[in-house]
Amino acid sequence: MRWRPGPIFIILALATCIPLLDQILPVELQLSEAVRGVFLYAILALGLNVVTGYAGLLNLGIAAFMAIGAYTFGILTCEIYPFQLGFWSALGLTIPIGALAGFILGAPTLGLRGDYLAIVTLGFGEIVQDVLKNLDVVTKGTQGINPLPAPTFGGHEWTADDEYKWYYLLLALLVVTVIAIRNLERSRLGRAWFSIREDEIASRSMGIRVERIKMIAFATAAAIAAMAGGLSASILSSTGEPSNYDFQISILALCIVIVGGIGSIAGVLVGALVMVGLNSIVLVKATAWMAAHGIGSQGNVLLSPNNWKFLIFGLALVLAVRLKPSGLVPPRIERAPQ
Amino acid sequence: MTVLRTRGVTVRFGGLVAVENVHFAVEPRQIYAVIGPNGAGKTTLFNAVTGIYAPSEGVVELNGREQVDPLTKLMVLRFVVAFVSIGIGTAIAVNIETLWTATIVDHYTFAQPFPWALAIGEFWSTLWNMPRTDSLIPLVLGGAVGCAAAFVSWWRGRRAPDHIARSGVARTFQNIRLFNELSLVQNVLVGMDHRMRAGFLSALFRLPRFFSERRKFHAEAGQLLEFVGLGSRADNAAGSLPYGLRRRLEIARALAGKPTMILLDEPAAGMNPSEVVDLMALIRRVRDAGTTVVLIEHHMRLVMGVSDRILVLQYGKQIAEGTPAEIRSNPKCVEAYLGSEDHG
Repeated sequence: MRWRPGPIFIILALATCIPLLDQILPVELQLSEAVRGVFLYAILALGLNVVTGYAGLLNLGIAAFMAIGAYTFGILTCEIYPFQLGFWSALGLTIPIGALAGFILGAPTLGLRGDYLAIVTLGFGEIVQDVLKNLDVVTKGTQGINPLPAPTFGGHEWTADDEYKWYYLLLALLVVTVIAIRNLERSRLGRAWFSIREDEIASRSMGIRVERIKMIAFATAAAIAAMAGGLSASILSSTGEPSNYDFQISILALCIVIVGGIGSIAGVLVGALVMVGLNSIVLVKATAWMAAHGIGSQGNVLLSPNNWKFLIFGLALVLAVRLKPSGLVPPRIERAPQ
Repeated sequence: MTVLRTRGVTVRFGGLVAVENVHFAVEPRQIYAVIGPNGAGKTTLFNAVTGIYAPSEGVVELNGREQVDPLTKLMVLRFVVAFVSIGIGTAIAVNIETLWTATIVDHYTFAQPFPWALAIGEFWSTLWNMPRTDSLIPLVLGGAVGCAAAFVSWWRGRRAPDHIARSGVARTFQNIRLFNELSLVQNVLVGMDHRMRAGFLSALFRLPRFFSERRKFHAEAGQLLEFVGLGSRADNAAGSLPYGLRRRLEIARALAGKPTMILLDEPAAGMNPSEVVDLMALIRRVRDAGTTVVLIEHHMRLVMGVSDRILVLQYGKQIAEGTPAEIRSNPKCVEAYLGSEDHG
């Protein structure tokens, strides 16, 4: 059979060109720094997509796992703690620790579905923030943990100037995440996830161990979200304060999944581009452009596009659900291999 | 060995008795029919056999073994492990501030080497020497919760539908329950899932085992779809199938797990006469391939045509059991279906 590039491949291939494009564009139009945020949220939303898209379990607390990943990374790498691991080993450890956190949340919620599960995960998100805030002996409370190391390659640590290295590192990790999730999706496990989303009683009657499959979905999502958290902490060189990982982040990830296409990897990538792109590229550039041309007044907050973001998120969500309920790039029914 | 035997199975929902004191036995390679008017408790009986409901009284035996697993030593060991690990975890979590201070904060000076052995020793001695109320209460409470959770999950799992399906009992549903957004092949592959062995890591890293298993089971799923006459539509979505063919796919999905017994709940519902004839042939082929068939059906020509034995239920009670000829000549059964002359 002849290989044809799928939408995922095309999106990722186009993404590799952006830093090259930046070389010829004027400074105001350069994109690569903002696109990093798209990659980070794409990784987070891909994790959420496993539990909400594939297994059909609405999870409103994905940011909690991002926080757990960020703080794990912080505690393992920062000089104020004795562990002081390097970037790579600490990032690697966020994955099993995130998975463990996913198991801990997953175990008591196995019997729940739909709205009830959403409420429990929402509560978990709040609890994690409060624990991080109040356990200040360990987490330094609201100060956040800093400074955190950047990646090292061949013994030399990156600085903020290595913008393109960061860009390609995030892109590479996004590609690895996409491949990992695609491999899981197109396997026995992915089928089991789909089957419990479609009909839990039927899949149980076919011998699918529903509890175990749900636990794996939770743990996989949590592991990916924790990795995204570790990465974001490293980019910022700080975990930031616990409230950086609040409900808004979970909702943004959920919007990405819904607008892009529930259960579709290409959809999540497009969704991240649309939602985060709007937020950190279009609105920021529009604000800068308006300021440069003297449109809008500094005093009137309503006239600054930067402040429209929640309006636009809400609008995008309403439009997506109304016009394209299965998302911009809906999942396709898998063609049988061979 | 008897494939399925019920001894006095009763299912109650509050005050309503849906199935009352039913005894029957299905021998290997039989086609066994359960008939009765609507609301007689036939589907409830199926649900009790497949673990969706637990019988209020009585015993269901599958392949000569009770449907409910006994408590094994391994399980008891699991409860102990759950108690100890979750208990210690809770004790550490509750005292994390004290432990962190005693091990990390007290021994680490910025940019100085960290005495690991000393800190780890300090960790355990702090845990050991702290007031018993601080360490033992969370240990016991957390352990008890963990142990109880392990027990409850075992208790529920020992008769759960997934467990029974894995022991070789497959079924179809009266109101067809396919995975509509999956393709036909994938629906069948879900039925095969419990025969597959390649796990998370072989899927993630695409190990050779994953490919060999995928090749084997895809080929088998294709054959199974051919067997029920759906081979040409293997890659269509199940939701796009016409009604009559959906039942065939459900049968293929149920057969995919290589069950010793398959329960068909009204397989002919909504079928036209020629589809019913095809279905009868299919049911016979399933039996000839070595699978015991138990079916619920209202379509008398199908029931009388294929069954070896028939069980008749009315208002949850068993009113007759026997060969088709016996049932046909039993006045009680005729009355149950057609009404007695008194009611005219």
